[in-house]
Amino acid sequence: MSRRSIAYSSSPLLASKTPPGRSKAIVGLMALGFVVMAGRAAYVQVLGNDFFLRQGEVRYARTLELPASRGQVLDRNGVILATSVVAQSIWVEPSDIELDDPKLGQAAELLGLSLAEFKQRISKGGKNFVWIQRQVDEPVALKVKALGIKGLHLREEYKRHYPEGESAAHVVGFTNVEDLGQEGIELAFNQALSGKPGSRRVIKDRLGRVVEDTREAIPPVNGRDLQLSIDSKIQYFAYQKLRDQVIAHKARAGSVVVLDARSGELLALANYPSYNPNQRQNLTGEQLRNRALTDTFEPGSTMKPFTIGLALESGRVKPETLVQTAPGRLTITGSTISDTHNYGTLTVEGVIQKSSNVGTTKLAMQMQPREMWETFTAAGFGQKPQLEFPGVVGGRVRPYKTWRPIEQATMSYGYGLSASLFQMARSYTVFSNEGQIIPATILKKPEPAVGVQVFSPRTAAQVLKMLAMATGPGGTGQRAQTIGYSVGGKSGTARKQAGKGYAAGKYRAWFTGMAPIERPRIICAVMLDEPSAGQVYGGLVAAPVFSETVQQALRILGEQPDMSVKPHIVAQAVEESL
Amino acid sequence: MIRFNVALLLALLVSAFCLVNVRYEARRVYMALSKAQSQASRLEADYDQLLAQKRTLAAPVRVQQLAAGQLRMRPTNPAVTEYLQSAAVAAVKGQP
Repeated sequence: MSRRSIAYSSSPLLASKTPPGRSKAIVGLMALGFVVMAGRAAYVQVLGNDFFLRQGEVRYARTLELPASRGQVLDRNGVILATSVVAQSIWVEPSDIELDDPKLGQAAELLGLSLAEFKQRISKGGKNFVWIQRQVDEPVALKVKALGIKGLHLREEYKRHYPEGESAAHVVGFTNVEDLGQEGIELAFNQALSGKPGSRRVIKDRLGRVVEDTREAIPPVNGRDLQLSIDSKIQYFAYQKLRDQVIAHKARAGSVVVLDARSGELLALANYPSYNPNQRQNLTGEQLRNRALTDTFEPGSTMKPFTIGLALESGRVKPETLVQTAPGRLTITGSTISDTHNYGTLTVEGVIQKSSNVGTTKLAMQMQPREMWETFTAAGFGQKPQLEFPGVVGGRVRPYKTWRPIEQATMSYGYGLSASLFQMARSYTVFSNEGQIIPATILKKPEPAVGVQVFSPRTAAQVLKMLAMATGPGGTGQRAQTIGYSVGGKSGTARKQAGKGYAAGKYRAWFTGMAPIERPRIICAVMLDEPSAGQVYGGLVAAPVFSETVQQALRILGEQPDMSVKPHIVAQAVEESL
Repeated sequence: MIRFNVALLLALLVSAFCLVNVRYEARRVYMALSKAQSQASRLEADYDQLLAQKRTLAAPVRVQQLAAGQLRMRPTNPAVTEYLQSAAVAAVKGQP
C-alpha cells in the first residue's frame, strides 16, 4: 500500500476558511484580555500600589528598638552608686520546644531551677513567648545558649548593679525587672534616669541581616546621670558604725544622718537593718524601711536646745542665769516631771549640760505656747522637708491653741511632738549657721545655701557653746568626743509609745551634734531603737556612733583637727533625764 | 542611526550594571557599618561592665576587709597624722 504525501501548504484541511466573524471575535477577545491585563498592571503599579507596597514591606522591613540606657547614680566625687550592666534574659517559644529534650534538665540546672519548675514555666505561658528567667548573668546565659536547645532564645537587657551594696541601699533604692525605679533615688528620679528609647526602620535580607534603613532613625535619648551629695566613704563608715552599735546593743534598728553644716547637702544616710539591692530575694518590710526619713518619733532631750534657744532669744534668761531644779521633780496640773538626779541649782548652760527636764520645763513655762510653736515650726518641726525623696514625712507639732500646760511642758523636752531623724539633723543647722536654718538637699549643688533666720547669731553661738559643754566633762554626751576635733551635741533618750501610754523598758536613744564646734562642718544625728543590752541612754548608745562617724567624716573631708590631740579619751558619761 | 542606538543601548547596559554594583556595594558597606556599630555598643557595654566590676572591687567594704584582715591596717586618726600646711607642702615639693 502506497502512501502519498501532501505538502503542508496544499493541505485540504487548511483550505477551509475560518468564518471572518469568529476570527474577529478571537482577536477582539485577545485584545480585551491584553487591555484587562494592562489595566490591572496600571492599577497595581500606579493607582492602588499602597496596599502592595505595605504588604511587601511587611515581608522585609522591620522596626528595631534602640534601647536608651538608664543614667548612672554617682556620689559627690563621681563614684558609681548605681549603674546598668548588660544581662541576658532567657525565653522560649513553647510551640517549638521539645519537652522531652534531655538538654532541658541541664539548662534548668544551670538556671538553678528544677526540671519540673522549668517545664511548668513553659506550659503556663502562652503559645509564642514565655520568659524562663530574666536578667541572668551573662556567663550562665551563654552556657544555656551553648546547649543548642531548639526554641530557646536569649534577649539582651539591662540590669542595675549597686556596687555599694547594703550601706547605700536606702539612699539609692533599686529598680524592678522592667528597669523602673521602686525605691529611693531610683524611684524619686525615675523619669530623669530612664531616658527615651529610639527606633529605626530597616530592611532585612533573607539571612536576617540589616541591609538598608528605610527612613531616618530616631536616636535614643539616654537617661541623665545623677550626682548625689552623698559621699560613699562617709556613707560606708556611718553604716558600718551604726550596724556594729545596733548589734552590740541588741537594738531593734538604728539610723544615722550626716549633713554638710554649711551647704545642707546630705553626706550620708544609713539605716540598719538594711538589704543588698543586688540580691533582693526574701526582703522584709523591716529591711526596706528608710527609718531616717519615713519614721517619726518623739525626739526627747534633743529638742531642749530649741527651748533654751527661745528663752535666750526672747531675753528672758542669759546663759549664766540660775535655775532651781531641786528636788528634781516638778508637778504641773497633777503630772510630775522629773530628772534622774537632783541637780539643785543649775545655770541655763547647766540645764543643757545635765539635760534637766525640770530646768527646761521651768524655762518653757515662762513662754507663750505660740512662741514655742513658732520656733519649732521655723526649725522645720511639723513641716515636711523639701527633699526629693519618696516617703519623706514631716512629723507632728500640734497647733499651739490646743496645748495644755502639761503638754507645753513636755514638748519643751521633746515629748508630745514627733520628728524624723533627718528633720532633727536639719533643725540643728540653726545652730551651725548663725541662727539660720538651711534647706537640705540630696543632690550635689555648687552654690551656697540660703537660709531663714530662726535665732540671732548671738543666741546660736550661745547654744553652740552649751552643746559643746554637753559633750564635755560633766555632760551627758561625753562619748561623742573625738580625737582632734571639738564636738558639740545633745543626747536624748525617749520612752517608746505603746498604745496610749509609754512602754516599760523600751527606749529610743538619740544623739544630734556637730563638729568642729567653733565652725561646724558637719551635723550628725544618730538614733537607735530599743537598745536592750543594758544601756539605753543616748549619751552611751548613740553618741559613740556620732563620735566615730564624725571622726572619719571630717578626715575624709580634709578638715584639719582644731584641738590638740589627746591620745586617750576617758569618759565616764553621766546618766541623763529620760 | 543604528550605531547611535547601539551606543545608547551599551551605555544603558553599563549604567544598569553599575547601578546594580553600586547598590550591592552600598548594602555591603551598610552591613559592615551596622556590624561595627553593634560592636561599638557591645564594647561600650563591656566597658560599663568593667567599670562596675572595678567599682565593686574598690568598694569600701572590700577595701576595709582586705586592709584590716590581710594587711592588718586600722583607720587613721589625728593622733597618728601629721598635717602639713600648704606652704610647707610647697616647700617640700620645691626640694630637689
